[in-house]
Amino acid sequence: MALTEARPLALPSGDEGNDYKPAGVFTRPTASTGWRSWVTTVDHKKIGIMYGATALVFLMIGGFEAILIRLQLWSPRGTLLSADLYNQVYTMHGTTMVFLVVMPIGAAFANYLMPLQIGARDVAFPRINALSYWVYAFGGIFLNTAWLMGGGADGGWFNYAPNNGVIFSPSHGIDFWNLGLIITGIASLAGAVNLIVTVLNMRAPGMTLMKMPVFTWMTLVTQFLLLFAIPVLTSAQVLLMMDRLFHANFFNVAKGANPLLWEHLFWIFGHPEVYLMILPAFGLVSEMLPVFSRKPIFGYPFIVFSGIAIGFMGWGVWAHHMFVSGIGPISVTTFSLTTMFIAVPTGVKILNWTATMWGGKLKFTSPMLFSIGLVTMFTIGGLSGVTHSVAPADSQQTDTYYIVAHFHYVLFGGAFFGFVGAFYFYWPKVFGYMLNETLGKSNFWLMLLGFNLTFAPMHILGLQGMSRRVYTYDAGYGFELWNKVATVGAFILASSVFLFVFNIFYSWRKSKSLPPVGADPWDARTIEWMTPSPVPAYNYDPIPTITRVDDFWYRKYGETKDGKLVRIAETEDVVQKRSDGKHIHLPSPSYWPIVLAFGMPIVAYGLIFSLWLCLIGGLIMGAAIFGWVMEPPDDPDAAHADHGPDDHVSDDGTAGELTEGEPSAEADADADATKEAETVG
Amino acid sequence: MPRRHSRFVRIFGTIVFAIVTVLFAALIVNAFMNGGKPLTTLVPHGKYAQDIQNLIIPVFAIAGIVFVGVMAATLLISWKFREKDDDDPDAFPEQVHGRTALEIGWTILPALILAGVAVGTVITILELNKTPDDAIHVEVTGNQWWWQFKYDVDNDGNFDGPGDITTATEMVIPAGRNIALTTASNDVIHSFWIPGLNGKKDAVPGITSPLNMQADQPGIYRGQCTEFCGLSHANMRMLVRAVSSDDYDRWVANQLDVDHAKQPTDATAQEGRKVWEALCAQCHVINGINGPNSAKPQGSVPLVSGVAPNLTHLMTRGTFAGSIYNLYDDVQSTYSGSNGDNLGSDPTDVAAAGDPGAALYGGPVNVDNVNRTTLEAWLRNPPAMKPMYAKGGRGMPNLGLTEVQIDQLVAFLVTLN
Repeated sequence: MALTEARPLALPSGDEGNDYKPAGVFTRPTASTGWRSWVTTVDHKKIGIMYGATALVFLMIGGFEAILIRLQLWSPRGTLLSADLYNQVYTMHGTTMVFLVVMPIGAAFANYLMPLQIGARDVAFPRINALSYWVYAFGGIFLNTAWLMGGGADGGWFNYAPNNGVIFSPSHGIDFWNLGLIITGIASLAGAVNLIVTVLNMRAPGMTLMKMPVFTWMTLVTQFLLLFAIPVLTSAQVLLMMDRLFHANFFNVAKGANPLLWEHLFWIFGHPEVYLMILPAFGLVSEMLPVFSRKPIFGYPFIVFSGIAIGFMGWGVWAHHMFVSGIGPISVTTFSLTTMFIAVPTGVKILNWTATMWGGKLKFTSPMLFSIGLVTMFTIGGLSGVTHSVAPADSQQTDTYYIVAHFHYVLFGGAFFGFVGAFYFYWPKVFGYMLNETLGKSNFWLMLLGFNLTFAPMHILGLQGMSRRVYTYDAGYGFELWNKVATVGAFILASSVFLFVFNIFYSWRKSKSLPPVGADPWDARTIEWMTPSPVPAYNYDPIPTITRVDDFWYRKYGETKDGKLVRIAETEDVVQKRSDGKHIHLPSPSYWPIVLAFGMPIVAYGLIFSLWLCLIGGLIMGAAIFGWVMEPPDDPDAAHADHGPDDHVSDDGTAGELTEGEPSAEADADADATKEAETVG
Repeated sequence: MPRRHSRFVRIFGTIVFAIVTVLFAALIVNAFMNGGKPLTTLVPHGKYAQDIQNLIIPVFAIAGIVFVGVMAATLLISWKFREKDDDDPDAFPEQVHGRTALEIGWTILPALILAGVAVGTVITILELNKTPDDAIHVEVTGNQWWWQFKYDVDNDGNFDGPGDITTATEMVIPAGRNIALTTASNDVIHSFWIPGLNGKKDAVPGITSPLNMQADQPGIYRGQCTEFCGLSHANMRMLVRAVSSDDYDRWVANQLDVDHAKQPTDATAQEGRKVWEALCAQCHVINGINGPNSAKPQGSVPLVSGVAPNLTHLMTRGTFAGSIYNLYDDVQSTYSGSNGDNLGSDPTDVAAAGDPGAALYGGPVNVDNVNRTTLEAWLRNPPAMKPMYAKGGRGMPNLGLTEVQIDQLVAFLVTLN
């Protein structure tokens, strides 16, 4: 009966919100400071910071595991770890570093920076953003509780079938691995959808796709890779879960399964995974190099399109992980060739970065040093990558330490150097104080030393026959010397990470006696540097209108026809002033994301130990979803009720301080203006 | 940044730079020093390994040139375009946004270089997959954590006929002949790899894959399982003994002889045989005592892999337990032919593999040279010698043998030549 009634769709228009008096749990939390504000936040900046902080905690865990590995391999027949424990430690080291450190640091930068770079107030779905973070955090914790409940996974991060089956790995370690990564996969997937929608729909007026900062571009490519790669891994893991927990036979060879199914699924995920770990760092370096070269990025379209090309070609190379698995010479040839040619767009990036530096006026700050570190160290990883795209050569190199050297040069020398550089670069923007440069530069050199001492010898160890994933080796094979060097290097590397942590606290204490850092301490190029440091909750007031790539730079400087740069405005006049933000409508905090996320590991424990726990976890999740749906879109009592869709910012005078001819003065967070931007895009 | 700080950073950076440069130089030099490194991939000892080497050397050379080029360019640019103390802080370099022609150029150039590499790669892949008709066919089966070898001696396409050989841990091949291997697995994925003779090939359960192999010279070529296969992956090794054609024929003849010495004359050994039949025969096979199919694991936990190493000619091997322990105290640093001629230095320079001497071809076992200490320790408590998962049906359990039983068993085992 009710269904036949003709009623307008009951979408809150904002006006009715004032009449809506939600009771009890359905009120929205309001804390903006203190721990409550972090737990309930939907602010992309706070979420980004939490991603980064959590990833650093996991970095300590994964790094400790790495130190254990290196200590065990210090000498032949090491006795620190048993074979069983070593297999768990190396598995958890790889899993932690990939899924709980490198990917989340990429997510941290994507969350924090990307909305700022496109001039948005927040991401498209702020509560889902909070959910992504909490799911990742709980998934990572769940994964690591395996250590307390019978030991970690022991099948390697690649976890090949049938060794991942119950017969061969009867402990619960692999169940924790499997379910933990299904959970973090949910986080990645939700984040990917969220960030893609954000980039495509929420750019500031005037920011067409080809005016986006390179990091935003790389984030977009990365999120598309995640969107399509994670479901493949999750499918494989659901099959494995069925096998392990419910006696299915997807990977049971005795029942006719083909173990290569797992390998294919894993690497169809796994190779795009490699690129989605490195592309954010490529984006960050493309932001930092121009700033400290005092020149625009060389060949913006080439940098962008080579990133897109890597994103596409990354899907056609997975079987290069399987050259020796018996896939036949035709497949081997095909994947050998595709893998070789993915080196082309990667090489283009390297050359464009060096060309960016060419002719510049290089300032060797900490971020610049780390950026140059990335360019050189990644080149080594890229070149060793080319040597094993040559399939016959790979049949000698694969599963040796040569490969270990290769991917650490890519993921540590590439991605991680880029991330640490970006920490130094964006620290003043995020936290409002500079990290100490002396410590920062020392940090770089110490890390470069430790990194090369640890991983460079592994090239030779591998070529001279040392297998990967071995808990021991015998004297007489010639492995002793370089293993010792690598272990020494690992300790230096660890100390460089501690130096970074020390720098954070040291600089924070020193900063109290220093004047506050301005909006634009590096004389940077992209619009996120227009915002006050640290960035206020509302990001921009008003939203700037974008006219070209590096828009902020060209508000400060003009360029003559012959490429000469002239200052046209003082930085202080161009950057935005901190306003009270009262007239700006921001998404309200919510406690449902953390509750929903909390239910997931409980369901996972239930799958392993008792299905009754699944019921409890399911009820928590169901209640959270119900609460999520029922809570009001925002807090009607918040102190910005004076805001209306037609209000103009110029009323309160802040916009008046912006330079004349600044078209953004007219633009509010007003949906109409954003709509225009979309059509331009 | 205060001046003394910047001086510290400059000195520290220079030191690090020097150390890393020396490290790289040392590593490159070390790549040419392969003596005493029996698993090295850089010294081929047969046709297939040589084909790979011929391909990889130019690839390494190209990669090396690009590496030096990028490093030099980065350093040069960093030096040449650095901001100097006396520079006008307000002056800016020329604002270049890109040069399309240049960028197209450096997109095409690497593509062309790689196209050249691709041609060589495809040719080599096809070459490595050619199996000559006269090849000896051997099926290699991975088990947790040892390798089984079955020879199709009568060349009838079947590896289990009465005229075929089943052995384990060590593979004997004639130098100069082509060996057509088929990899398989009884449990999880392993990878068969003798770096001196060819690249590796995974042994996947339910799937067989071909791998060619050939050794130019007689010698010992060591190998290591390279696909992570569980607990004792690190201890899953194997070796190939390449011998002369005549010696290979002698070896085959001895392996096919399954009736010799099955009735030991020595009383202790006879007791040992009884112990063997009562305990070991549940998993192991000695042709002539229990048939290949008679070894039926008993008890509640079935053996996951279905088999344990065939011990018919145990003493013809120089190593045991996945080739991690020597069966003989005498170690073989040079290869000796069956006629006692020294045929020159072992090219892989392994000082570690036990030397069965004449027993390799069915000659008498030099009982004084048997590595009793290790063999007895193994029988006393196998999982202590090599991590295994016996209660899960994988690997050898501790049978709780008495010292007397161990003596008897050793006396029996050393008759298995």
